[in-house]
Amino acid sequence: MIEKQGLYDPAFEHDSCGIGFVANLKNKKSSKTIQDAISMLENMEHRGGCGCEPETGDGAGILIQLPHDFLKQECAALGIALPGFGEYGVAMTFFPKDAEERQQCKDLFVEYAHRLGFKVLGFREVPTDNSMLGASSKKVEPHIEQIFLQFLDSNDPEALERRLCVLRKYSNRNIHREMPSTNDSFYISSSSYKVMVYKGQLRTNQLKPYYKDLQNLNMTSAMAVVHSRFSTNTFPKWKLAQPFRFIAHNGEINTIKGNVNWMRSKQVLLESTNFTVEEIDWLMPICDINRSDSSNLDNVIEILTLGGRPMAQVMMMLVPEAWQHNPEMREEKRAFYEYYSSMMEPWDGPASISFTDGKIVGATLDRNGLRPSRYCLLDDDTLIMSSEAGSLPVDESKVIEKGRLQPGKIFVADLEKGRIISDQELKDQICSAKPYGRWLKENKLNLKDLARPMKKTNAPAKGMQLLQKQIAFGFTREDLISVLEPMAKDGNEPIGSMGTDVPLAVLSAQSQHLSNYFKQLFAQVSNPPIDPIREKVIMSLFTNLGSQKNILAETPEHCRQIHLETPVISNGQLDKLRKLNDGSFKSYTINAIFSAFDRPGSLESAIDEICANAERATLMGCNILIISDRNIDQNTAAIPSLLAVGAIHSSLIKKGLRTRTSLVVESGDAIETHHFATLIGFGANAVNAYLAGDTIRHMFEEELESGDVSIKKLLANYSKAINYGLLKVFSKMGISTVQSYQGAQIFEALGIGPEVIEKCFTGTVSRIKGMRFDDLAKEVRIRHKRAFQDTSIDKHLFIGGFYQWKRKGEAHLFNPDTISLLQKSTRTNDFKIFKQFTDKINDQTAQAMTLRGLLQFKKGATAIPLEEVEPKESIFKRLASGAMSFGSISFEAHSTLAVAMNRIGGKSNSGEGGEDEIRYAKKANGDWERSAIKQVASGRFGVTAHYLTNADELQIKIAQGAKPGEGGQLPGHKVDEWIGRVRHSTPGVGLISPPPHHDIYSIEDLAQLIFDLKNANRAARVNVKLVSEAGVGTIASGVAKAKGDVVLIAGHDGGTGASPLSSVRHAGLPWELGLAETHQTLVMNDLRSRITVQTDGQLRTGRDLVIASMLGAEEWGVATAALVVEGCIMMRKCHLNTCPVGVATQDPQLRKLFTGNADHLVNFFTFLVEDLRLEMAALGFRMVNDMIGRTDMLEVKYNDPHWKTANLDLSPLLYKPNVPASVGLYKQKEQDHEIENVIDRKLIELAQPAIHDGAKVTGEFKIINIDRSVGAMLSNEICKVHGGVGLPDGSIDIKFIGSAGQSFGGFTTKGVRFTVEGEANDYFGKGLSGAELVIYPSKESKFVPENNIIIGNVAFYGATSGKSFINGQAGERFCVRNSGVTTVVEGIGDHGVEYMTGGRVVVLGKVGRNFGAGMSGGYAYIWDKWKEFASNFNNELADLEAISAEDAAELKGLIEEHVQHTSSKIGKQILADWDKELKNFKKVMPRDYKRVMDKLKAESKSKVQSSKVEVG
Amino acid sequence: MGQADGFLKYDRNLPEYEKPEERKKHYAEFYKPMSEEKTREQAARCMNCGVPFCHNGCPLGNVIPEFNDAVYRKEWKYAYDILSTTNNFPEFTGRICPAPCEGSCVLGINKPPVAIEHIEKSIIEEAFKQGWVKPKTDIQRTGKTVAVVGSGPAGLATADQLNKAGHLVTVFERAQKPGGLLRFGIPDFKLDKKVVERRISVMEQEGVVFKCGVEVGVTVSKEDLLKSFDALVLAGGAADPRDVQIPGRELKGIYPAMEFLSQNNARVSSLKHENHKGKVVEEVLASGKNVIVIGGGDTGSDCVGTSNRHGAKSVTQLEIAPKPSEGRAPHNPWPEFPMVLKTTSSHEEGSERAWSVLTKEFVGDKNGNVSGLKVAEIEWSKDTSGKHIFSEIPGTEKVLPCELVTIAAGFLGPDHKGLLDGMGLAYDERGNVKANTKDYKTSIEKVFAAGDMRRGQSLVVWAISEGRECARAVDIYLMGESALEAKDASMLAVG
Repeated sequence: MIEKQGLYDPAFEHDSCGIGFVANLKNKKSSKTIQDAISMLENMEHRGGCGCEPETGDGAGILIQLPHDFLKQECAALGIALPGFGEYGVAMTFFPKDAEERQQCKDLFVEYAHRLGFKVLGFREVPTDNSMLGASSKKVEPHIEQIFLQFLDSNDPEALERRLCVLRKYSNRNIHREMPSTNDSFYISSSSYKVMVYKGQLRTNQLKPYYKDLQNLNMTSAMAVVHSRFSTNTFPKWKLAQPFRFIAHNGEINTIKGNVNWMRSKQVLLESTNFTVEEIDWLMPICDINRSDSSNLDNVIEILTLGGRPMAQVMMMLVPEAWQHNPEMREEKRAFYEYYSSMMEPWDGPASISFTDGKIVGATLDRNGLRPSRYCLLDDDTLIMSSEAGSLPVDESKVIEKGRLQPGKIFVADLEKGRIISDQELKDQICSAKPYGRWLKENKLNLKDLARPMKKTNAPAKGMQLLQKQIAFGFTREDLISVLEPMAKDGNEPIGSMGTDVPLAVLSAQSQHLSNYFKQLFAQVSNPPIDPIREKVIMSLFTNLGSQKNILAETPEHCRQIHLETPVISNGQLDKLRKLNDGSFKSYTINAIFSAFDRPGSLESAIDEICANAERATLMGCNILIISDRNIDQNTAAIPSLLAVGAIHSSLIKKGLRTRTSLVVESGDAIETHHFATLIGFGANAVNAYLAGDTIRHMFEEELESGDVSIKKLLANYSKAINYGLLKVFSKMGISTVQSYQGAQIFEALGIGPEVIEKCFTGTVSRIKGMRFDDLAKEVRIRHKRAFQDTSIDKHLFIGGFYQWKRKGEAHLFNPDTISLLQKSTRTNDFKIFKQFTDKINDQTAQAMTLRGLLQFKKGATAIPLEEVEPKESIFKRLASGAMSFGSISFEAHSTLAVAMNRIGGKSNSGEGGEDEIRYAKKANGDWERSAIKQVASGRFGVTAHYLTNADELQIKIAQGAKPGEGGQLPGHKVDEWIGRVRHSTPGVGLISPPPHHDIYSIEDLAQLIFDLKNANRAARVNVKLVSEAGVGTIASGVAKAKGDVVLIAGHDGGTGASPLSSVRHAGLPWELGLAETHQTLVMNDLRSRITVQTDGQLRTGRDLVIASMLGAEEWGVATAALVVEGCIMMRKCHLNTCPVGVATQDPQLRKLFTGNADHLVNFFTFLVEDLRLEMAALGFRMVNDMIGRTDMLEVKYNDPHWKTANLDLSPLLYKPNVPASVGLYKQKEQDHEIENVIDRKLIELAQPAIHDGAKVTGEFKIINIDRSVGAMLSNEICKVHGGVGLPDGSIDIKFIGSAGQSFGGFTTKGVRFTVEGEANDYFGKGLSGAELVIYPSKESKFVPENNIIIGNVAFYGATSGKSFINGQAGERFCVRNSGVTTVVEGIGDHGVEYMTGGRVVVLGKVGRNFGAGMSGGYAYIWDKWKEFASNFNNELADLEAISAEDAAELKGLIEEHVQHTSSKIGKQILADWDKELKNFKKVMPRDYKRVMDKLKAESKSKVQSSKVEVG
Repeated sequence: MGQADGFLKYDRNLPEYEKPEERKKHYAEFYKPMSEEKTREQAARCMNCGVPFCHNGCPLGNVIPEFNDAVYRKEWKYAYDILSTTNNFPEFTGRICPAPCEGSCVLGINKPPVAIEHIEKSIIEEAFKQGWVKPKTDIQRTGKTVAVVGSGPAGLATADQLNKAGHLVTVFERAQKPGGLLRFGIPDFKLDKKVVERRISVMEQEGVVFKCGVEVGVTVSKEDLLKSFDALVLAGGAADPRDVQIPGRELKGIYPAMEFLSQNNARVSSLKHENHKGKVVEEVLASGKNVIVIGGGDTGSDCVGTSNRHGAKSVTQLEIAPKPSEGRAPHNPWPEFPMVLKTTSSHEEGSERAWSVLTKEFVGDKNGNVSGLKVAEIEWSKDTSGKHIFSEIPGTEKVLPCELVTIAAGFLGPDHKGLLDGMGLAYDERGNVKANTKDYKTSIEKVFAAGDMRRGQSLVVWAISEGRECARAVDIYLMGESALEAKDASMLAVG
């Protein structure tokens, strides 16, 4: 295991996986169950990962029922006499390899066992064979033994089970304390009388050979849970393998930091009749931030289960379904969830969890259903549940049911009762166990129902008093105009465009708001961000105030809390809280102020004082602490509210008091969304922004007086905008509730020193250290002094200057000087002027604006003549232009850039808007408008087989620097006919890109998409674009392991065509950090030589490129600077379509004003590379490759450090991992994409006559789930010959029998017809480009097709054309972003046709929730026999219509076709009674689409008429 | 902010002028009023740029997009508040500034720029009209005293700022009235003197003391000043005109432009017949004469307008440099100040203009009066080092008849004689008073310099800018810190 070093921190590790279980419903034990589970595991190898050596896996394991008979036999041979089942427990234990150390461990363990009342019956060495292990796995392989333990104090097996848990935790804690060296080598995988876990750092196919026990057919179990792990690194620990003791988890808990912190406070209150006080103490700590998220979740499940709750109830507590916005939910269930929300915040994040206590086995899925989970029940009582259907091949004739787990649902097989308990039965039972509804009614209070005090506490500030406060708290004119005004007026978050180019807060020469030092983290790859608008059904903003109680009990008093609809509260609401003082609630105000006079230590001591105050008040029973900065004056300044709340929150957690009270912030410095997000993220339960309110009142004084608007409305708008913004901030991390976001610390600090972090933001990543308390005090005092300065000079607000360049505002790298020099130099082809430009950019000695500005090249390099440096032509290949879509920028700007890049041999990027095919052919003059890089983004606009074929590189855009974790929107007015055609959408109708790729919810999903793309174009490199943030290095390792060819680390400062201002400014980190972390992590993992590393983000000069190379990049991207060369003058109005220089606009009038020129761009890139070559010559480098990772050539500028930067520590940035010389530092070897033996190779061979001679071909193949992306490679071959047109329908007609793997029919083009008899997994028909896909169940199966699932989640994602008939149900997110496929299906899950822009969907069955969200084109026919569709329909963009005669004809034709292809029973039934059934159909029609279609119809009609007139 | 597509809807529009033949009859300002609605349309053309080049192009750093937006929204008071944070005298710059802001306006890349100057003037005139510009009477006094020498735009700006900062300021002016070049250089038809007086009156009411007709170093000794004031700011301008030293220069009827203009301004204001330096001068009128103006700049243009108002027989303006192009030349791209052909209102009133003309000799009549100017056409080229050189085109020599010549060939720098030499101040290589733009300190303790006296001949807007910056430097010198607005340094600077 590698320790924290450089920028790498093991805490950043992620993993995700394949999981599943096999069980016999009647609890019949057999070795077959175990063996089947192992085969299933082996068929999910592609969901696991392996390191740089193929023999080392990331981890695999199995959990089985305790095989008593087997153990008894084995033990007898060892002379250990085991008592009966239930009378002893087995601790499956990893011991150190070292014999001496192991003996010490064992001695300690025995001692502890005795102390806890156990008799140690004996040890059994677990027989293993490590001959197949890879070296790195072997290096850390433990010695594994089973310890047999008998409990002397009780005969109750459940008491034994609890005591085994206590023993495990107690011995673990104490042995690690006594012998710290055993931290990783001593570990108890399971200690139970019911279950046992075999796991290790293995590949799936190594589990059985390694553990000889698993080969022994005497070992039996009625259930077996398996897990295959895919980790982002190559040095996983054995103990991180799963299953854990209760669960196998596929997913990621995003809120883990908060959950663990909250547990720290909750555990202090633990009390249970099941445990003695002493035992509770031995169990501590329940959670530990140093363990993985899954491991912590397992530990909480364990304590709650052993504390006496049924497992299913525990799962409902921790992973509740989305109940807040579901009017259909039963009252009891809602009450249950609401009641438990007062006790436990959701453990939020994508999660598919298999759980068991040895007697029941079950599974649950998070509220968003972001992980696949398929099951199948056989007529011999075998139950199979797995991440993938078909991973355990079965006799189809025995199948009686095929299903999937739905979002938020639980599924339990009770082996003792011998039956499956459905979600509804289970939850009905649990929810009616206690009168939760009555308890809530009698105890829970709503803030809005509380009495309002007679008198307002504070009058709004006015005049000079207001101005002084505004200045002191850092309000600027820009804040008023650009932030507060749009919020108050329209209730919207302000939008902007282009990237940020201002200094980081710690480098800024202006006093900064403390929140600016914190960068929002966001989800990329290892978990998906959420779309809070289209999927608001799962989002929630409510929060509770008051104290929490013992989580092992449930009493009416537990929910005696105050319910807040949102954490943003008004002055009136705060007044209500301030006055509370009764038996249940008592508030107390803490003045967060400190001396305005410069005395060292005064801020820190003030913080200590407020923390002590908070502690005292909490102990006295105050459960609402109001942290207020209202009382500032000339002599006392405000403690930044974030600092105050962070300090109090942290100190209360450390004291175990946090859950006894709640924190309400009353602050003047909460202005924009990010301020609220940081306050809540670091512990505030609610925030009152009184000064923002007073400011709004003042700004709208005239309108208020004239009665044009009411203050109530303005403030409501403001809080609406903040709330909306907060949802966006949570959702970019994949978090859906404010409750879980509270205290989750989803930020990285940049430039905050360790003492401040430790006291106020404990556990927050702050990698380059920085400001101390006195420095922060100084920043506050600068503003404070300006505010209260005794002078007769008129005071006024500062200008701001973050979102626009302003003379006295924040510095910008692109300013009037640099823009004009860059334009002039490239237009006049004058390198001297270009050097003036680079000097201005590089000359950051007066003020460093970027991290690289703090660096300089070490002196003493031996210069070489310029001619010896590799020529510019070979360097050009390393340049890419940034991804900007045709749509966000004009055709002129887009194609000019492509021409220039093609001229120099660099690569331009299509961006996410597709590309017009006319650009694929070279022009007569040799110029080429084709973009070498084709982007594949979440919207998948125009991503067809043909598009993918015409690329040298395929870039998967995971995130974008300007707004990582967010989707995009192209407003209807920018979608003209041309763009509509290229994007396969309707002109005039707006387009939405979802925040996540709906086929990438985890790292193994990314591997699948890479595999898809590699199949779709073998010659193209696959590039994965990530955005810099803490932990991006581990994600990049995951990308390398997922077989990406290139990883791009984009800086936070990248541009955008439209983005919320708060995202542009506050999300993501500079590329320097992300790049260095990536390079370091890849090198440590010996993965660097397998992948090219690229970086971009405001690169402008040769020096920038050299530093990027030294930090680890061998290729660079340039976007903003290239746009400036094309004429962009940083208007930052791209989102308004009013770009006055024709760059970022589609207005034909403005496009004419475009003056960009490929020559100018060629000049620019030539200058840039010449500048680079000059730097290289001066530093003595001949080849770019020689510079990669050479951080030893860099040093920090030490001359006269500013007080703000004096304590920065950039050594982690310059860290060079200590690795052997054999470890490559730049891309040297190709990835093995494992596409040599795919089915498509055979298909291509078979299809030759069809492709080349116009013949028809047919064939039949067996298929299993490991056959993935079938059709993609074949289509690539067809496109090479026939372009986007493809072949005549049915030219290649293939039948498959079995279970198709993921992405079946992916990017399959016209002329291909695939028929599957059997079933298919996720991403069926992904990117379908014209083919026909037919699927029906095995002819041998007995189940009813329309009641069973046949294809997985996210079918037809991004499909552009084609047809499909599905004889069965599909999973969640059917036809997401479909833009042209016609399909008939017999039932679908949640979020159907989300963001669809074209195509036709017929559903002959039930439809899940949120159908039609974000749907802006195409239409759907729903057979609503049950009359329940309306409640599942999201009508934000679409309407329900009656079926017209024209529709009826079309619909009938489609159903007939469906029946013809699949023999669908339901289809036949409907047709048989057509006139009656037709009435059950509803048509879903998007509003905008209808408007545009109607207009087109009218136009064509009038055309016809006018032509008639002419004729007549 | 603003109207996103205003620039697509409205064209650039300025107030209409009286017809030349009408306006030539008087010295008053001659533009017609423009409706509020029309002015707002002009403000709506502002694109609120991400990088407002205008704000950079303005030597004062006027926050132009912000006040444009305020005008667009009819928030005139707010517009005035924004404007007055950077400019003490918008009523001057709003009338006579060559508007480098408009030269760098982003809209100017491919359309006529926003009418910034007109908007500026509209704001300040509205402010005066509404009574928002009123003397501040509650200034807390620091007890420090400052003397400012010179009452041109630099001196006035210095005085205004230092007074606002609480210091007691006395302005010394050798002419009979304060205002310097504003008062005596610029003709009334471009800047009505009531506008200058209106501002000076506000300053006086706020406590600034003006001592006119006092020449420091002569009327009052520099020693006395240094003794009785805590600081001394020299803002005497660049009053030393560049002469045209060619044969016949001694002939009568040849005047430096400022001589000509200042005596006329005095006459228009019915003042004593003194020039801008407080010296009695003879009356010069162009009535019925052929007038030649040497120098193609703004001062020359003022001579043209004045001569026409006198009723000159003909007016010819000569320039040695080549005729500028109509549009921008490639080496002079946006956002640089456009070196393009400029036709002023005075030119419209009737004049001949010629470029690439070398003046060779003044020809006189028998009375020693000038009667003609011998000129020749020249051709410009570059020498091997890239320096611009010219050569006379053979056969182009001719004599232009004239009875009055004004020389508007710019200024060499401050008058050295008298005060400056007397104080023994150091000069820079161009002969200006040596002081940097960081602390504005001269070589003598507690003596500061600002404006043209420090930077050489320049624009009014630069003079105001220097005055403001210098005042801040003096304030810091006196108090250790300053709450006065700086041009570039943020008030939030972390120091």
